[in-house]
Amino acid sequence: MEEKFDRGSALTIFKTDRHEDLVALVLAFVIAALVYFLV
Amino acid sequence: MVYTKRTIWPLVIGIIMVGYAYLVQSGNMAPLIKFLNTGRYAGEMLTLGYAFGGVAIAAGLWHLVAAPREGHADYYFSTIAGVMFIMLVAFIVKWGLDPLMANWGRAAQPTLGFNFASVMNLNYVVMGILAGIIVVNVFKVPQWAENGVRLSRLGLKSGVILLGALYSFAELAQLGKLSVVMIGVFVLGSVWLVLIIGVRRSLPNSMTGVLSSGVGVCGVSAAVAAAPVVQAKSLEIAYTIGTILLFGVLCMFLFPIVGKAFGMGYIQFGAWAGTGILNSAQVAGAALAFQPGGIETLKVAEIFNITRVLFLPIIVLWLAVWYVRREQAAQRTVQQVDAMQVVISKFPIFVLGFILMFLLSSTGIFAPARHYQGSYFDNSEKALMKKDRTGKEINNFLKAEEVATLQKELDKVKSSDQKAALTRLIENKKIMSEDDDAMVRGVINSKALSKEGTAVLSKAHRVVRHTAAKIAKFRDLIAWFFTFGLVGLGMQITMASIRQAGGQPLVIGSIVGVIKAVGSLIVVLLLVAETI
Repeated sequence: MEEKFDRGSALTIFKTDRHEDLVALVLAFVIAALVYFLV
Repeated sequence: MVYTKRTIWPLVIGIIMVGYAYLVQSGNMAPLIKFLNTGRYAGEMLTLGYAFGGVAIAAGLWHLVAAPREGHADYYFSTIAGVMFIMLVAFIVKWGLDPLMANWGRAAQPTLGFNFASVMNLNYVVMGILAGIIVVNVFKVPQWAENGVRLSRLGLKSGVILLGALYSFAELAQLGKLSVVMIGVFVLGSVWLVLIIGVRRSLPNSMTGVLSSGVGVCGVSAAVAAAPVVQAKSLEIAYTIGTILLFGVLCMFLFPIVGKAFGMGYIQFGAWAGTGILNSAQVAGAALAFQPGGIETLKVAEIFNITRVLFLPIIVLWLAVWYVRREQAAQRTVQQVDAMQVVISKFPIFVLGFILMFLLSSTGIFAPARHYQGSYFDNSEKALMKKDRTGKEINNFLKAEEVATLQKELDKVKSSDQKAALTRLIENKKIMSEDDDAMVRGVINSKALSKEGTAVLSKAHRVVRHTAAKIAKFRDLIAWFFTFGLVGLGMQITMASIRQAGGQPLVIGSIVGVIKAVGSLIVVLLLVAETI
């Protein structure tokens, strides 16, 4: 799959694992905030 | 490179999703929903169907009319089509295949003597990976979806972070010193053993690393948490999950038989199952098979099982350092590895997110701080007197005729503790404590009372056990993130990569699993008394 993408890697669209982790962190905490306020 | 491909398929997917939600809303899907017993998902079928369908239609129009140029907009917007493709498969898995398997499992139970769907763990985890593998190997992932499929790992990581919300300090407070020491020895020992055998048998470092975490700690979350640290491929994560589940199926059958052959007590067996079986659901299955008439074994097994999660961050740190050392050795770099440096640069932030979420959950902002995976005991008058939607008051104390039913059947209960708990229930018309609740569950499981009597007890148990709505929502969301991630993970596994990896991981995982099971059996028999 590698040669199909000129950015990221075969497993992720992000430049590094750290970028992916940070996006996951932000996403999870935004969802947690939504659950806290809306449920 | 331009990632947005001209195609009509995202639009078609959007129309299918919205159409399905509409059919559910109009009641046309009622017979199917009834057959599959998926009534509890009706709400999310509407919300997710319309929401994702709407986004897919918008993305579909973008794919049809836009003339994208290379750049950020093209790169990121083009992932939406892939996400919608995975979500369509995830809908089929979660609302179709998973409940269908559960149905077949229940239907075949009288003939087979066991529920094969539950024993083989044929739930959305396994079905999701299998569906992904089938899609990629039979139909191939369409070009327009390829970029979005690379977001599946993001879904798994977000799921692991949210998983932290299900645990709380209150649970850890229940842990005995023995469970921490025993689990610690076996978790660290298993990881070490897999690392040694993996290296000896020349398995790739990434495969060995992810397998060690999966076999040592337990299950999907551990494999996912360790995978980025050791640069594991999708297939290696799937192999680890497969090994754990296959080994767990064997354990579910064998553990209760061996436990009875050795004359183990409830606490001994709970400690053994909680340590030796790798998958959480299968731990519960074995504990219930060993003691169908009560939940003492299950409680001990669950405590031992939860303890493993404590070791997850330690294992991730260990694997980060191990992996860098192994890779440097392979490249013949003689440079000294600075463990601290490795930890800082390699430790996955999302595991910190899991810990942060756990700390947040322990403050009690999502559920009473004493909750156990969102479930908590409350027998106060406020909790038992509720109002329905029309404002009418519902009294959940036992009614006179229900009390009479229990009184009539009280002598059928042989255990003095269970009898005392039932007497208190009859006197007060409600379950009086968490311990009494455990006793009542024991009587329910033992089926000692008539159908009516058991129904009264089930009701009494239900009205004092409350599920925190926020934690229940977290659990739903985690299941969706995992289904999404695992379907996408499956879509990255080709038959060629399976052939290339061979059966080595299964062999190593099983060898270490057997050593762990036998080792923990010996320790339990020697050290665990029936009264910890």
